[in-house]
Amino acid sequence: MAVYIVKRFFMMIATILIIATLTFFLMHSIPGSPFDEERTTNPTIQANLEKYYKLDQPVAVQYVYYLKSIVTFDFGPSIKKPNETVNSLLARGFPISFELGMITILVAVISGVTLGTFAALRHNGFIDYMAMTFAVVGISVPNFVLATLLIQQVAVTWQLLPPATWSSPLHMILPTLALATGPTAIIARLTRASMLEVLTQDYMKMARAKGLTPFRIVVRHALRNALMPVVTIMGTMLAGILTGTFVIEKIFAIPGMGKYFVESINNRDYPVIMGSTVFYSAFLVFMLFLVDIVYGFLDPRIKLHRKDGDV
Amino acid sequence: MKKWLTFIIVAMLALVLAACTATKDAGKEPEKVKDTKGEEKKEETVAKEKILYLNNGEEPTSFDPSVGFNAVSWSALNNLMEGLTRLAEDHLAVEATAEKIDVSEDGLTYTFTIRETAKWSNGDPVVAGDFVFAWRHMLDPATASPASFLAYFIEGAEAYNTGEGTAEDVAVEAPDEKTLIVKLTAPNEAFLNIITNPSFFPINEKVATADPKWFTEAASFVGNGPFKLASWDHDVSLVFEKNENYWDAAAVKLDKVEWAMVNDPTTEYQMYESGELDESGVPPELAEKLKDSDELRIDDQAGLYFYRLNTSMEPFTNTKIRRAFGLAVNQQEIVDYVTKNGEKPAHGFVTYGFIGPDGKEFRDSVGNLVEFNKDEAKKLLEEGMKEEGYTELPKVELTYSTSPSHQNIAVALQATFKEVLGVDVGLKNIESAVFASEQKEFKYQMSRSSFLHDYADPVNALESFITDSSMNRTTWSNAEYDKLITDIKNETDENKRWELLKQADQLLMEEMPVFPIYYYNQTTLEKPGITGILRHPVGYIDLKYTDKN
Repeated sequence: MAVYIVKRFFMMIATILIIATLTFFLMHSIPGSPFDEERTTNPTIQANLEKYYKLDQPVAVQYVYYLKSIVTFDFGPSIKKPNETVNSLLARGFPISFELGMITILVAVISGVTLGTFAALRHNGFIDYMAMTFAVVGISVPNFVLATLLIQQVAVTWQLLPPATWSSPLHMILPTLALATGPTAIIARLTRASMLEVLTQDYMKMARAKGLTPFRIVVRHALRNALMPVVTIMGTMLAGILTGTFVIEKIFAIPGMGKYFVESINNRDYPVIMGSTVFYSAFLVFMLFLVDIVYGFLDPRIKLHRKDGDV
Repeated sequence: MKKWLTFIIVAMLALVLAACTATKDAGKEPEKVKDTKGEEKKEETVAKEKILYLNNGEEPTSFDPSVGFNAVSWSALNNLMEGLTRLAEDHLAVEATAEKIDVSEDGLTYTFTIRETAKWSNGDPVVAGDFVFAWRHMLDPATASPASFLAYFIEGAEAYNTGEGTAEDVAVEAPDEKTLIVKLTAPNEAFLNIITNPSFFPINEKVATADPKWFTEAASFVGNGPFKLASWDHDVSLVFEKNENYWDAAAVKLDKVEWAMVNDPTTEYQMYESGELDESGVPPELAEKLKDSDELRIDDQAGLYFYRLNTSMEPFTNTKIRRAFGLAVNQQEIVDYVTKNGEKPAHGFVTYGFIGPDGKEFRDSVGNLVEFNKDEAKKLLEEGMKEEGYTELPKVELTYSTSPSHQNIAVALQATFKEVLGVDVGLKNIESAVFASEQKEFKYQMSRSSFLHDYADPVNALESFITDSSMNRTTWSNAEYDKLITDIKNETDENKRWELLKQADQLLMEEMPVFPIYYYNQTTLEKPGITGILRHPVGYIDLKYTDKN
């Protein structure tokens, strides 16, 4: 297991480096620069700016500076927000995105697994149909549509909750609902499908025959096995939601880091593009790594430490 | 196996703990909400505290007056600081921090006397040296200020900014604490207007020398405007309070201004609807529905939406063909059925809002230079094709940058050219940053463009099209036009200068390297009871005289 983890760790580093290098060269190959705007750019002023951000140097030199910035995790100042460093933007935006993401994931997992389990237990019953109708709607309605709808109905028409911003627990309800509905639906469907499969297994009959309580049978024997597919998608889902969802953050004016991913590319704000991409990919790779380890516990059939030799 | 279980549990705990710290941070904020709610209650019961709720869209890029060259920085900064002059309700520059302005007979030397009562928000007096310091800071190549070209009217400014001169050579001097003398390279009608721009605001020299990052946080920010910066929660909100040290504090009626940073037009509108904002823009999808609303106000904005024709690319090498395309465009229809935002159709390059020495609107005295004329357009196209010996018109491609509104206009133009001229024009949609860079490299035949004034004078728009200007982007070059612009800049007689400006607008529209579509405006929804928000055609929102009842 230790060997496996060390190996995975180095693969993680290599992956991040490849992503970072690709991003760097892709970014420099697209036309346009941070200073290309409709407004006048006086050549001298532009030269001053380029010098300040080292953009007047050859790409190879910039790449070396950039590698250095990854190792030291110091991406320097943003071009579009000259008062701020990329690190301060990430340090400010990430905790908020992370908070929104954690709440969303918790809501999605708890409600998704519950819904899915009940749907499977009452297969083809009323609860099943209700849950799956919800799941289909949840998957089909994009979260930005839901978000606008929620604001219009709940905040503007009924005036029950504040429409936007992230300043109190009350403000958090609508964005969480909008963001969690999709993942809840996906988790519910996955849980239901694999629960249905697990429930027909022989060991379920065995468990019942042993005289275990229904709760224990479902939670201990059925769910544990049924959760595998859910865990599989959790890695990417977590990374995606925790590091900020641009659209929801924009609609609800949540000061997370989602907008930096998108806006930095439109603005060609090179340091922010690099900083957020490296941060995001590191986070994503780390989440996948965690999921791999969690696998081993949920399914003893996966023997991590024997993978490199005698399988 | 047990070991790994512990590892996972620890990892999960770490995550949960991290989440908890984040939640704790958020936990502080509800108190703030309670606070404001308490204040609101206070407002009802005790004194009437007047708080205006606005939306700034996003985090200001910088409150360094020389650096934040955009509306998100300067709309706010315009109320925190004040220059020598300020725009009044009629959009003309009047004395502000300066109480007296003397201009030499040749129009080259300006002597400003600074008010005795002008003070910084920390109580320091505003001195002439603060202006010298700020203007040199703007022109310092190391500041890399995108606004520095605005100061090139001042003697020695361009040389210093381009690294050829020194700060001492810039002709801005402070012979004593309250006197500032500025020398220009040429007389300039618009100078007093130009210095209302935030990049000409003073900087408290003492504060800025002690702390070069003074403008990044509310605690260290020192201004001299009607409001002071009480708090700045980055990416979340700005709170302004009335500045008791402001020389004209008696005229300021609001106690507080709270700026949200909501960057979604629909959400902004919904917050306005639910009463959390006092002003909102009009979301494009709702423009038609809201156009008769009592709360809608429309202000002119000096700038226009237009198209460039590349005069080095066939068929636009021919003037008649250029004119044919220009006259085929029905500006009124585009405004009525495509943009639907109450804009004025553009029949010339210079926008509305400039009053001549005769007291007449520039636009009205020049008249409509480009007007939809189907027959004339057809005739011009035929003549032009004959001149060039075309039996078939070379392929024409129209390029625009990605945005639904640009696309709508491009599609409408495509239909018009087909209908009026019988020409099939291809459409090409290009991502904005790529578009901006390729347009400057003259890669497009026909492309969309816009212009917003940097200062309130027609010449600002017209000078874009002198030979090789970075704003020209059409490769068009006309010696007569270049001369007109030079003459305009050197003319001291206001009437003659105005005549030359008219000629330049006429010549540009005759030659038509560009054809205009519409003049910009600012549409805002404003809650009843709010008065005195100034929105200028050129300039930034001014809350000095704003009241809320």
